[in-house]
Formats: sequence, structure tokens, C-alpha cells
Amino acid sequence: MTISKDVAVMAATAAEAEVTTELPIPVRSRSTRHLWRKFVLPPLVALVIALIAWQAAITLLSLPPYLMPAPIDVYDALISRFADMLPAALITMQEAYLGFALAAISGFVAALIMARWNVAERGLYPYLVLLQTIPIVAVAPLFVVWFGPGQATNVLVAAMIAVFPVAANTLQGLKSTDRNLVQLYRMAGAPPRVQLFSLRVPSALPQILTGLRIASGSSVIGAIVGEFVAGVGGGKGGLGYVITLDANQLRTPELFVAVLLASVVSLILFGAVALVESQLLKRWHESALPTEE
Amino acid sequence: MTTTSTAANRPVGKDICSPLIEFHGVSKTFSNGFRALTPFNLSIDRGEIVSLVGPSGCGKTTVIRLAAGLTAATDGEIIRRTQELAYVFQDPTLLAWRNVRNNVALVAKLKGVGKAERNAAALAAIETVGLSRFERALPRQLSGGMKMRVSLARAITSAPELMIMDEPFAALDEFTRDNMQNELLRLWRVNHFGAMFITHSIREAVYLGHRIVVMASHPGRVARVIESPNPPTLDDAPRDLKALDATVNTISQLLAGEPA
Repeated sequence: MTISKDVAVMAATAAEAEVTTELPIPVRSRSTRHLWRKFVLPPLVALVIALIAWQAAITLLSLPPYLMPAPIDVYDALISRFADMLPAALITMQEAYLGFALAAISGFVAALIMARWNVAERGLYPYLVLLQTIPIVAVAPLFVVWFGPGQATNVLVAAMIAVFPVAANTLQGLKSTDRNLVQLYRMAGAPPRVQLFSLRVPSALPQILTGLRIASGSSVIGAIVGEFVAGVGGGKGGLGYVITLDANQLRTPELFVAVLLASVVSLILFGAVALVESQLLKRWHESALPTEE
Repeated sequence: MTTTSTAANRPVGKDICSPLIEFHGVSKTFSNGFRALTPFNLSIDRGEIVSLVGPSGCGKTTVIRLAAGLTAATDGEIIRRTQELAYVFQDPTLLAWRNVRNNVALVAKLKGVGKAERNAAALAAIETVGLSRFERALPRQLSGGMKMRVSLARAITSAPELMIMDEPFAALDEFTRDNMQNELLRLWRVNHFGAMFITHSIREAVYLGHRIVVMASHPGRVARVIESPNPPTLDDAPRDLKALDATVNTISQLLAGEPA
């Protein structure tokens, strides 16, 4: 009932705004309260219930915190350790985001080159796949040997793990351009460069963004793996370093906090990519509604 | 042996009288040995619509790909006396991220036509196909028939002398399809282009064509060329539908033995 009322209200507002059109007007509820109730409240309720159940289970079973901390223990750890966890999270963030940027740029450029010249694809693609099959944990120590233990190494590990999804998805997108459109460009005498940037890249945008979305998660994993291996020796460690230390000393609540912060680092990047994606792709079907003059 | 020659852009002197495009003994064999087209002869005059109809694998698409210069003939000679050709695909083939006006102006833009000139031509073409109100709409906001109109508008923007159409209305529902056939004839009366029109529908071929090339498959060849008893005219005279029906029946019987 409330929804149909909203629609009616929307229709009325649209008419008032003199947006007369024969096409359906996208209905977007302006009431944030409605959205909050629909999308924020249910997972929030689920979370509260889960936390209560978790706390109750730990209390009833009287498990020691080093085995399984209760939510209260995790909260305490978060408060008491926040001052030194936050810099660690920021370090990881820096490494992961730099690695992501490096992977996004190099993956995109590699895909462009492979899409433009078939011989480049035949020559490079097998090695790209090989790069993906190498276990990152096994290579990380090598990177430490070459580049020393430090942030640069972690950035490279993050980039290495994130480059494949970007390159593979972008290439896939660039190669699946509508044949007829390619023919249209060719018949109009458009040079390959114009075809690539005016037709293929925009066509591939959904796949490119999918690649970036996957890479956003991978790059955080890469940064933390790098820190496991490289960060231990250095003075300034990221979350991976914190996790290694706390795991050795069975500080389980702190481990939970580290995991929580790592996923926040990951979520921020994922959210940014999703935001860019929705902004770029929305234009294709939502905007530029025809209006009467 | 193969020659594809293109003469001047615009008809001058005797070129006005000579056919727009001529096929002389043109054949096409694919590298795997498949004979897509056995020696094929056809000439199309300026302002003439020639329908090509026949079952799958009869070489219709090969003929228009040859005409457009998208593939080379194995043997024979193609003389095309125009550079101004437009190709209309079965799908609207639009850029999803460009609005109607920019889609219509696309080919002109790729050919290097200046912005003011191509926009003016695009707006005129959009008006011709009756989409003026949707100039800024994106393809996703349009119906199938409207998208096809955009595709036609893009084709006429470059003032083509030869329209090459590959089953352009095949994916449309019957009602829209009838509309689009009349739309095409209307555009033809305004712009008077020559056209090669490929279709699976005998009725459509007969309704639109001045001549109907009936093709047969395995190997691809011309079964017969039929003059329309009542072709479309520039003054939009009422059509003798009975005579057209008789031609449809003749062609149906001709193709009866052919696998679909």
C-alpha cells in the first residue's frame, strides 16, 4: 500500500515539474526513511541478534577468550588497541590501494595492447595466466629478497594478485564488441585507434568494472599476504603484521579486530568501485530522458 | 581476376544512365571449399530497389558483403559507381551510451564530416523518420521499431545512393514490420536511393522490390529474377495487391523444393 502511494506521489511531482514524456519515468523514492526501513534495518536486526546469541553462547559455555572471544572482548580490544591498530590499518590501506591502482592501470593498458594487436595477445596472455597460477604466498618472499621488506614490496604483491582480473576481464570485454558495430566503424573508414577508444572501450565498460571490483578485494588480500612475509622484519607493520604478532601470542580478540579492520579497508575500496560503476553505467539507461521543448 | 572498381562520388554525365552497381560473373568460394556463390550477374540502376530472397545458405549475405566491399570475390568483376553507400543491419546496431542524435550522426562523424554539418544532417534525418521528440533519448528507452528507425536515420544521414540492407526488419513483430516497410518506401520516395534488400520473407521481397532476385542454395545461385508486376512508385500510387500476391505464390512454388 505504501509503495503504490509513493508511486502516485512521484507521478504527481513529475507532472508538476513539467517533465512530460511518453517514456516511463524512473520511480525513485525520495523518502530516506523508507529506504532505511527496507535495506538497513533487516541486516542490522540480524546483526544484533547474532551478537546477542554469540555473547550468550560464550557466557553459557564459559569459553576462554583466547579460544573464542565474546563480542564484549572484541569491543574492549577495539577500544584499547585502536590507537595502534588504526595506523596499521592505514598502512595496509595505502599498500592495497596503491597496488590496486597499479594493477588497474597496468591491467587496462595490457588488455588494450592485447586487444589492438593479436600477436601481442598470443604472446602475452599465456604469461598473464601463468602469473595468476603462481601461488602468491610462494612469491612474496622472493619479492622481499628483491625489493627488501617494506611497503614497496607489499604494494607489488597486491598489484600482482589484482592485475589478472583487470586484464582478463578488460580483454574479454574489448573482444566481445558487437561484430556489426565493428563492421560499421570499418566501413566508415575509422582507423583501429578510433575503433578502440570510441567503440571497444565504452562497450567493454561493464566487464572492465567487473574486473576492478574483483581486483579491489584481491589487492587487500595481496597487501596482507605481503605483510605476513615482509612486514614482520620492518618496524612499521600493517594489519598483516598485527595479525602475525597477535596470533603468536594468542590475543584472539585483537585478531578479530584486525580482521574487522581489514574488511573495512576492503569494503571502502569495493564501495568506491561500485559507486563509479553505478555512476558510469546509469547514464546508459536512466539519464537524458527526452523532454518536450 | 577480381576487380572492384568505384567511379566518381556523384553521378556526372553518362554515369547517370549507367547502373549503380554491376556484378559480372561474380563467384565466391570460401577457403574451406564451400561454394557460397556461383557465377552471379546483376545490375542495379539508380533509384531501383532489388530484393534478394531465398533460403539460408543461398549466398544472399555473400552478395551484399561483396557489394559493400566487406569481402573479396573469388572470381568475376564488381563495378560500383558510387562511394555513397549505407549498410543497414538486422539489428539496430546502435551505441548504447550515445543518444539518438549522436547515434544518427555517428557514421558521418567517423567519415570526418564537420560537427555543424553532421548535426544538421542528423536532425533532418531524425525528423524524416519521425523521432524528433526522442533526439536525446538513449537506445534503451526506445522500442524495437523506434531503434530500427534510428538505424534507418543513420543510414540516410549520409545521403546514400546505394542502401545495402541485410534483413533489417526480420527481428520486428509483424505490425512494426509492416510499418517499417512503408517507412522505407517513404524514405525512398524522398531520397530516391538504389537499394539491395535481403529478406527471408517472400511477401516483403515482393512488396518492396522493383525486381526480386530469387536465390537457391547448395551452391548459392540465382534461381530466377522476377520483375515486379506493380513496383513501388515515386508518386505513392495505390498498389495492386492481387498482382503482388500472384508473384508471391510464384516465388513460393519456385522455392518449395528448397530446404528452409
